[in-house]
Amino acid sequence: MGYEWDFAVVFRDFDLLLLGLVNTLKVTGLALLFGVPLGLALSLARLYGNFAARLFVGLVIEFLRTTPPIAQLFWFFFALPILIGVEIDPFRASVLTFSLQSSAFFAEVFRAGIQSVEAGQWEASRAIGMDRNETLRRVILPQGVKRMIPAFLERAIELMKTTTLVSAISYADLLYQANSVAQSTYRTIEVFSVAAGMYFVVIFACSLGVRRLERRMARSGETVMN
Amino acid sequence: MGHNWDFSSVFASRALLLQGLENTLILGATCLALGLFFGLFVGAARFSGRAWLYFPATVFVEVFRNTPVLVQIMWFFFAFPIIVPFQVDAFTAAAIGLTLNTVAFSSEIYRAGLQSLARGQWEAGRALGMSYWQQMFRVILPQAARRMLPAFMNRAVELFKMTSLASVVAYGELMHQAKVVSTISFNPIEMYTSVALIFFAVLFPMTVFARRFETRGDPRGRS
Repeated sequence: MGYEWDFAVVFRDFDLLLLGLVNTLKVTGLALLFGVPLGLALSLARLYGNFAARLFVGLVIEFLRTTPPIAQLFWFFFALPILIGVEIDPFRASVLTFSLQSSAFFAEVFRAGIQSVEAGQWEASRAIGMDRNETLRRVILPQGVKRMIPAFLERAIELMKTTTLVSAISYADLLYQANSVAQSTYRTIEVFSVAAGMYFVVIFACSLGVRRLERRMARSGETVMN
Repeated sequence: MGHNWDFSSVFASRALLLQGLENTLILGATCLALGLFFGLFVGAARFSGRAWLYFPATVFVEVFRNTPVLVQIMWFFFAFPIIVPFQVDAFTAAAIGLTLNTVAFSSEIYRAGLQSLARGQWEAGRALGMSYWQQMFRVILPQAARRMLPAFMNRAVELFKMTSLASVVAYGELMHQAKVVSTISFNPIEMYTSVALIFFAVLFPMTVFARRFETRGDPRGRS
């Protein structure tokens, strides 16, 4: 075990790792931006669509949830461009994949949130003459969304962890940058450990925040878990 | 959209894909067995009041739950071999990473399951003169196991999805085989579509089964 640790090299290239972290956050942020509204649409279609829509959307959601994200990413990066004859760069393929992938999970969070609102709320809205869309928009979603927040944030953290896969199609996220810095400095163990540490700092901070929020909301009894 | 779908090239390489699926299942089953086994001890340590057990177990769990699993696999493939005096092949690196990840997540399931049982069960065990591990294995676990089962099944599905990451360190599981074959036979569309379908076919029944447990409790009616 006579290994001599040398972290100095890592910190000389620290800006490259930071750039990677920014790219990781960029993909995560964009996937959230597209994934959340899409998830809402999918959940509404699954809950209130006609039979064909429910079946189709249900299948899409299950498919996205039970196939490995890396298989989806490779499909969108290697297969889709040939299929549609348009080149898709690693960044776009990543955002596309993770928007869709996370939307399936968000759809389930939305569904749990909507279903957690008591039937009496629907009945009360109907009693004062609201139709379904109005009830959803004004009564059900505002209450449901609040309870879903912890589950949402947990999914967002999962998403950030999953985006490491984009390194496999050479998008310069933190893991990819770590890999290239490790190769150029031959300080594999230090670089990978620092990169893992950076992931840990960001993700653990988010987890702690979510946990605190969860506890606070659990005390006031307004959370659903997914 | 003038692509001519042709799955015959996929079918022609079925031997390689089956080999990949076999490796996927071997990797997944190995990590699941080891992960659930060691997870129990880490979970029990997290459940314990003793600081020297609780503290290291908590650090371990937080580190492995709050870093991406791909980073863990890469660390064990690229970094770990430098500080240990033996070779680490792709299977070992992936297996260590995925096992430790599963240990961390399953220990939380054990802990939640153990905490869900009333303290009276422990006390009753003690009143009968049982030791800690006797109480655990004879009284607590049999009851908690039923409540934990759906969560474990979800974990297993997650784990089998994660085995596809072993392709990044070139372990010959399904995803890797597909990658290799598709570059030789130029059929990425059919190949990756097939791989996604194969994973779906294997994992979807598992999720359906897990959900039945969740909604109805024990299907034999003893929830």
